[in-house]
Amino acid sequence: MRAEQLKGHLDLLLLSVLARGPAHGYAVIAALRDGSSGAFDLPEGTVYPALHRLESEGLLASSWGDAGGRRRRVYRLTGAGAAALRARRREWETFAGSVRAVVGWAT
Amino acid sequence: MGHMSADAVDRYLDELLAALDGRAADIRRVLVEVDDHLTEAVRAGVEEGLDERAAAARAIERFGPPRVVARRFARPFSPGRELATQLVLAVLLLAGVGMTTVGVSGAVAAGMGAAFGQQFVSGDHAGVTYTPARCAEYRALEPGAATCEEAATRHHFGEVVQYRAAAGVVGLAALAASALVRRRRRQAILVRLLPEGLVPAVAAALFGVAAAALALDAVTPLLAGEGGAGASLSAAIVAAVAGAIGAGTFVRTLGVRAERQPAQSSM
Repeated sequence: MRAEQLKGHLDLLLLSVLARGPAHGYAVIAALRDGSSGAFDLPEGTVYPALHRLESEGLLASSWGDAGGRRRRVYRLTGAGAAALRARRREWETFAGSVRAVVGWAT
Repeated sequence: MGHMSADAVDRYLDELLAALDGRAADIRRVLVEVDDHLTEAVRAGVEEGLDERAAAARAIERFGPPRVVARRFARPFSPGRELATQLVLAVLLLAGVGMTTVGVSGAVAAGMGAAFGQQFVSGDHAGVTYTPARCAEYRALEPGAATCEEAATRHHFGEVVQYRAAAGVVGLAALAASALVRRRRRQAILVRLLPEGLVPAVAAALFGVAAAALALDAVTPLLAGEGGAGASLSAAIVAAVAGAIGAGTFVRTLGVRAERQPAQSSM
């Protein structure tokens, strides 16, 4: 999938990954790649600014953990993040359904 | 992680640090996270069979160019926040100039005292009297004074010069802080939200009004031949000079802006 197509849905994807449990940035990127069988493979540096923005909006929270003596930032979904995820899932399903309907109609 | 891959990661982090802008704590957090990410990516590459150098190169390539990554961390432009920042800086600059001007007027007052006597600067107006208790306080503060009035004059002269000097020090500190903040606000494109020339215009107006008011205050004792005119006169002179500098700067700003306007063709 082209990176430009993915950008618009990045927030939904990140919130969905973190809904499964707290994770650090590398694990989130790996989950995106593995969960999509390699379809979602955008530049990894784009994910951290998105995580920081979601945290500043109150949808995520983060804290420092320890990874073999190295400091690691771990993110988790907040209550507001869970509510936002539900809302964005509904929007996505409505949008995807409409696209499927038109594309199906066109063919 | 071996030293070859660590060097590559360190070089990447150095480039990222140079490109990042913002608060020190935020920058530090980004660097720690990116360092952790690249370290883990290198480890994963080695586990997949790549050598250290190739694993580091792949990790860095996947992460993206440092300048591109740094741009994505930049806070989105907020007109409200930027306007508030520019207003605060303008007020800080005006306050610094104002307080420094007060300090300079203290030096002028000290010079007037040396040239014309302390009575000229801080002598009491006609009709001012002190209670015995107040006199005793002044005599205790100025034991070398021959009379209560002389003690009061010396004490008030000291206050005029010292308080204004202290204000001058505060003003210079405010100007230094203002200059430091302006230098640290590195922006590729400076969005001017306040009208050009606003600060010098406001300074000219404020100093002009102050100079007029202080000059009026000095006129009566001057004409009456009484003491005390120097305190207001010294401040009026310095305020008038500061106002003139502000007005000149404002006019020069208008001139520069007029030169920047594209020439209008006449039909």
